[in-house]
Amino acid sequence: MHNHHRRRLIGFAIVGILLFLLSNRVGVLRLYQGSTVSMYVIAIGSIVLLTGFSGQISLGNGAFMALGAYIAVLLQTYLSLPLVLTFFVAVLGAAFFGLILGVAAARLSGPYLAGTTLALAVALPSLVNQFPVLGGEQGLMFNAGSAPEWLGEVSRFKWLFWISTLAAIIACIGIQNILKSRYGRTWKAVRSNSTAAELSGISSARSKVLAFVISAGIAGLAGVVLALTAGTVAPGAFPLSLSFAIITGAVIAGISSLLPGSVVGAVVLVGMSQLVGTFTSRFQMGDILAENLKELIVSALLILAVVFTPNGPGEKIRAMREHRKHHSHGGVR
Amino acid sequence: MMRLNRSKKAITLTALAASVALVATMVPAQASTDKVGVTSKTIKLGISQPTTGPASAGYNKVAPAMNSYFKYVNDNGGINGRKIELIIKNDGYVVQRAVNESAALVDEGVFALVGSLGTANNTAVAEFLDLKSTGLPSLFVNTGFSGFSVKKDYPTMFSLFPSYYMEAKIFSEYIKKNFPGKKVGVIYQADDFGVDALAGLAQGGITLTEKIAYASLSQGTPSVGQSWITKLKTANVEVVIFYGVPSAVAAALRTAAALAYKPQWIVTSVGSDYTTLTGLGVTNAMLDGVVTGSFLPAPTDDADPYVKLFKTIHTKYGTGAFDSNILTGMNTAMMTANAIKAAGPNLTRSGLIRAIETKGRTFASASLTPPTYSTTSHAGYAGFWLAQINSSGVMVPESGKYKVYTTDAGKGAVKVSTYKRPAMPAKGLPK
Repeated sequence: MHNHHRRRLIGFAIVGILLFLLSNRVGVLRLYQGSTVSMYVIAIGSIVLLTGFSGQISLGNGAFMALGAYIAVLLQTYLSLPLVLTFFVAVLGAAFFGLILGVAAARLSGPYLAGTTLALAVALPSLVNQFPVLGGEQGLMFNAGSAPEWLGEVSRFKWLFWISTLAAIIACIGIQNILKSRYGRTWKAVRSNSTAAELSGISSARSKVLAFVISAGIAGLAGVVLALTAGTVAPGAFPLSLSFAIITGAVIAGISSLLPGSVVGAVVLVGMSQLVGTFTSRFQMGDILAENLKELIVSALLILAVVFTPNGPGEKIRAMREHRKHHSHGGVR
Repeated sequence: MMRLNRSKKAITLTALAASVALVATMVPAQASTDKVGVTSKTIKLGISQPTTGPASAGYNKVAPAMNSYFKYVNDNGGINGRKIELIIKNDGYVVQRAVNESAALVDEGVFALVGSLGTANNTAVAEFLDLKSTGLPSLFVNTGFSGFSVKKDYPTMFSLFPSYYMEAKIFSEYIKKNFPGKKVGVIYQADDFGVDALAGLAQGGITLTEKIAYASLSQGTPSVGQSWITKLKTANVEVVIFYGVPSAVAAALRTAAALAYKPQWIVTSVGSDYTTLTGLGVTNAMLDGVVTGSFLPAPTDDADPYVKLFKTIHTKYGTGAFDSNILTGMNTAMMTANAIKAAGPNLTRSGLIRAIETKGRTFASASLTPPTYSTTSHAGYAGFWLAQINSSGVMVPESGKYKVYTTDAGKGAVKVSTYKRPAMPAKGLPK
C-alpha cells in the first residue's frame, strides 16, 4: 500500500518536472492556455468527486468557484494576505459554504439537488453586485505577484502557469488519495445502493455531506486559479455557462475518472475554441459562425456523450477494456 | 493490483505525452524582442476587438477599416519598402478572451498591438502581457480611458481619443450653458469607462439627480432599458448623459420612445454612431436632437479631404455603409502609418515609441484637434466639437461649423480651440 502511494507521488513529480521544463519552451499563448487547463482540471476534479463518486448532481459548482475567488481577493485587497494563504483560506471558506448547502443537499436528491445548486449559480453573480465592498461589476483586482528574484526573470504568464499547475497537481494528489481511501469507497457504496450501505453501518447522509463539502472546497480552489488567470474577480467571470462547461468536461472523459479524465476534459474544453477558430478562419467562415459553432460543439458533445455512454465515453472505453481483461476470472466492477 | 497497473500506465502515458510535447515545441531562444515582427518586406501588427457579441455592433467595422487603409498604403509602396499586415482577433469584449487573443498575437510575433478596444480589456492585457517590461507597444488604443495616457503606468501604450474625462468636462460646460437649472441624470457602464466620465462630470460641476450604473454586456438583457427609463422618468430627469457602447444606447433610446419619455439626450462620442444605432432599431425620430461629440469631421462631410479620401479607400477595399466607425478606424490606421514612417527605416519597438513621443504632435490626421504626445505624456487628441443629430441623421455642428473645445486631463478650463488642421499630405500617405 505504501509502495503504491510512493509510486503515485513519483509519477506526479515527474509530470510536474516535465511541465516545468515545457514551460520554458512554449510561447505565452500556450502558457495561458495551460493555466486555464489547470483551472479546469481542478474544477472537473470537484465534479468527479461529487458526481462520479458520491452520485450527487451539482449544477452550481461555478458558484463555489466564485466564493473561493471572492474570499481570496478580499483577503488580498483588505488584509494584504500573501497569495499562499489566500489559497488556503479560500478553500476552507468555500468548503464551509459547501457545508451549509450540503446539509440541505443531503435531504435532496437528483433533480431537486440539481435545481437548488442551479439557483445558487444563477443568484450568486447578481447578489455580488449588491455589495460595493465586492467591487461591483468591475470586480476587484487580483494580483498573482511575481516570481521570487532568485528564480531569475520569469514572465507573468510563466509564473501564472507554475502556480496553477502546482495547484492542479496538489489538488489531483489530494482528490486521488481521498477517492482511494475509506471515504471514496463509502461514497461508491452509497451511490450504488444506499440501503445496502446503511445496512452495513454507513451513514448515507453524512457521507453525502462530506462529499459536498470537499467538492465545494476544491471548486473554491479552482475559483482562485480562475481569478488569477483573469487578473480580477468579477461576477462576469462566473456565468452559468462555466458550471455547464465543467460538467461537460467531466462527462466527456468519464464522470468517475479523475486521471486522465479531468485532464482530457480540460484539454478538450480549452482546445475546442482554438480548433474551431482555426477551422473557421481556414475556411473563411466568419467569426459569428465560429462563435456559435464552438458552443454548439461543446453542447453536442455533452448530449451525445450522455445519450450513447451515460457515464461518458472514457468510462465506456475503460469498462470495455476491463471487461475483456477480467472476463476470464469473472471480475465484476 | 489492477488499480496499480492502471495508474502506472496513466502516468507513463502522461509522461510520454509531455516529453513528446516538449520536443515538439522546442524553439530557438530569441535574442532581442525589439525587432520582432519586422522583416525587410513586412511589418506584422495585431488587434484584439469584438467581432461578435453584444458590444460588437458598429465597433466590428473599425478593424476592417484599419485594414483597408493599410492595404491602400501597401498598394502605394508600403512604408520604407515594408508592407503592413494586420492580424485581427475577436475577443467579444470579454476581458479573459482579450488576454488570450493578445497572447496569441504575441505568439504569432506581432511587432505591436494597435487599436485594441475596451478599457477593462486593455488594462488586463497590459498587466498580463507585462507591456512595461516586455516593451511591446500598444498603439492608439480604442478607448477614451484617461489612465492609458499616463506614461509612468503604461510606458508603451498610447491613447488616441480624447479621454472620456475631457469629453465629460466639455459636456458639462454645454449643459451649464444650454440647460441651466434642469435635472441631469447619467447612465454609465460600470467600469473605468463610466467612472472616468463621472469624474469629468464632477470636475465640470454637474449635479446628478440620478446615477444609473449597468454591467458591461448586460445591455443584451431585454428588460434592462425599461428599468433605466422608469427610474429616470420617475425622478423627472430632463437631461440624460449616456456613457456606454452603441447597443446600450440603442436599448435606452428605444425604450424611452416606447414609454414616451423625451429628455435631452447627450451621448458619448463612442456610443452615438448613426449607422450603428439605426442598425439596432433606433429610428431617425428617436435620434432627432441627440447631442454628441466628435474629434473627427462628420462622416457625411464630403467637403473634408480626409473624409473624401477615406470614402474612396473604403469603396475600393471595404464593405458596408461608410460611418464614423470606419472613419475612426482609417484615422487610427493613418496615425499608425505616420508613427511607423517617423520611426525610420531601421524599425524597432523602442524607436517607434520614441518617434511618437518626439514627433507625434506633428502627425497628419483627420482630427480637428491636434495630438498632444510628448516625452512625458501619452495623451492623444485633446478636444471635441459638439453636434446635434438632426431628423435625417446628420451630425450638425453646434454653431453651423466645427467649433472645437479643448481641455486638459486635470482641472484646466474648457476653451475654444484655435488649432488649424494642416493640409492633408499628398494622397493621404504618411510623409
